[in-house]
Amino acid sequence: MQTIFSLWIRGLKAFGRNKISLIFSLIFPFFFVYVFGAIFRNDAIENPIAYMLSGVIITTVFESSLNLASSTVDDMVSGFMKEVLVSPARRITVAIGQILSAATVATLQGIMILVLGTFIGIRFTKWTTPLLILLSMVCVGLVFSGVGLYMATIVRSGQTFQIVKTAVTMPLTFISGAYIPLSLLPDSLRVISYFNPMTYATAFFRMVVLEKTHLLPEELVREGLAVKINGFIITPFLSFVIICLIGMIFLTLATRSFVKTDFSKLNRSANDASALWG
Amino acid sequence: MLPIIEVSHFTKSYGNFTAVNDISFSVEEGSIFAFLGPNGAGKSTTINTLCTIFEKTSGSLKIAGYDVSEQKSEVRSSIGVVFQDTTLDTKMTIEENLKMHCVFYHVPKNEVEERIHFVLGLVDLLGERKKLVGALSGGMKRRVEIARGLIHYPKVLFLDEPTTGLDPHTRAHIWEYIVKLQKERNITIFLTTHYMEEAEICDQIAIIDGGKIVAHDTPYALKKKYTKDRAYITTKNSEELEQLLISYQLNYEKKEGYYRVEAEDITHLLQVLSLHKDAITDIEIRKGTFNDVFLEITGRKIREEE
Repeated sequence: MQTIFSLWIRGLKAFGRNKISLIFSLIFPFFFVYVFGAIFRNDAIENPIAYMLSGVIITTVFESSLNLASSTVDDMVSGFMKEVLVSPARRITVAIGQILSAATVATLQGIMILVLGTFIGIRFTKWTTPLLILLSMVCVGLVFSGVGLYMATIVRSGQTFQIVKTAVTMPLTFISGAYIPLSLLPDSLRVISYFNPMTYATAFFRMVVLEKTHLLPEELVREGLAVKINGFIITPFLSFVIICLIGMIFLTLATRSFVKTDFSKLNRSANDASALWG
Repeated sequence: MLPIIEVSHFTKSYGNFTAVNDISFSVEEGSIFAFLGPNGAGKSTTINTLCTIFEKTSGSLKIAGYDVSEQKSEVRSSIGVVFQDTTLDTKMTIEENLKMHCVFYHVPKNEVEERIHFVLGLVDLLGERKKLVGALSGGMKRRVEIARGLIHYPKVLFLDEPTTGLDPHTRAHIWEYIVKLQKERNITIFLTTHYMEEAEICDQIAIIDGGKIVAHDTPYALKKKYTKDRAYITTKNSEELEQLLISYQLNYEKKEGYYRVEAEDITHLLQVLSLHKDAITDIEIRKGTFNDVFLEITGRKIREEE
């Protein structure tokens, strides 16, 4: 328990101390809101700012939690992971601590954007909305921290790692409907987007932020808040279940892989991640 | 005294390459034990296996009675490790690093503050405890690591090349701390080094080369066994000195302006030379060094490859 808590605090401290990345993590989302909001202004979307913001917030949570992969690789290179692994601390508690701290940081970033967002166009009419928002952010944060940790443990070469990471995050965010409405995508990309967990996370989150929970499935589809595949509608509830399922799978994979990874092959004398594993 | 580290027939191989080949040794509690050898001799492999990071290929390794392969958790609690490269969390302060370590090693909460104070005092870093580790110099980082390796009061402290890459002044300080520690807390210290001169402080030395222990004894005994003392003599009367050395069957070499004489027993040599003392204008005596020991045992210098 102590180990989990300490690693959790450590993650938060590191986040708070890195002022530059903190500022940029706030600037970028609003930049995206500005650019994409302007592009889709004339579309059928009734509140483009809130529509864009919801997408941007959930992508920020997604990217921030996935960053656990990079920070874990950093910990391997800096040697801190070795200190952890020769200690009597149980590896599973280390994995849990890392995932919790990354998920918390991701949620915090989401909250900050949301708070700023209330000044430029997000309005809540129900008191349950913020709670639901928080819950969804925590879930998405946990799921993709798990994915991130899993990536860190299976990575064998740091150079390819950065490329793989970008190659995974970019398409996942761009064909999730977060920035570009799925209805505007060509058919081929739309089919791919059905296999993207972020599609469901975005749809669910957007529905919560825009307070459309009372709408019928058909109406949600029309507003772009639910996905219809071959006439079958993935309801928000089902989306949520899908996300949780993916989360379970990756959290299990990540902790198992982390506990079992043979860190003896770790090449500590490597200056960068490129020669991390011998 | 009881052996706290017991290694018997330990072998570690990677594929076809055997890094450590059937070595056996034991270390007594409360002593300083050094593993001496060139890079790639198997020093770090042995340390890493003792620290439960690597898996052995065969043999038996025990620390404080616990088997390093079977009772990892108990072994990890009994040891402190300072690795060759730093393993500090550079984004955190010294204090935070130490506190984190205390959590990992289950140090009772009410003792943490007192122990931080104690170990930082030991390495003269009390004033820096709020500093970020990333901003410290190499020597300071090493001191933080030594402090951290001790804070959970381990029975054995492993130091893998504790002074490599540090300037002579810092190196001397690190050694002061090491000796102080061993005296004050009766901790067993197991270290590796390729600085020969550092080995003299240790109680026992094992010289490892090519994955084998080629010699294991006290520094004094090793020197006595493998080195000769030398005298460099300048004389006004070469003929007389030469005759004298020949009559006592002492090997000498005539160099430009001086004689180089080797002797197993330096007092005997001095007695002989006292017969010639009026003619001697200068004399210098050099004791054998660990470099000589290493050269004698392995046929090459320890840092040849560097």
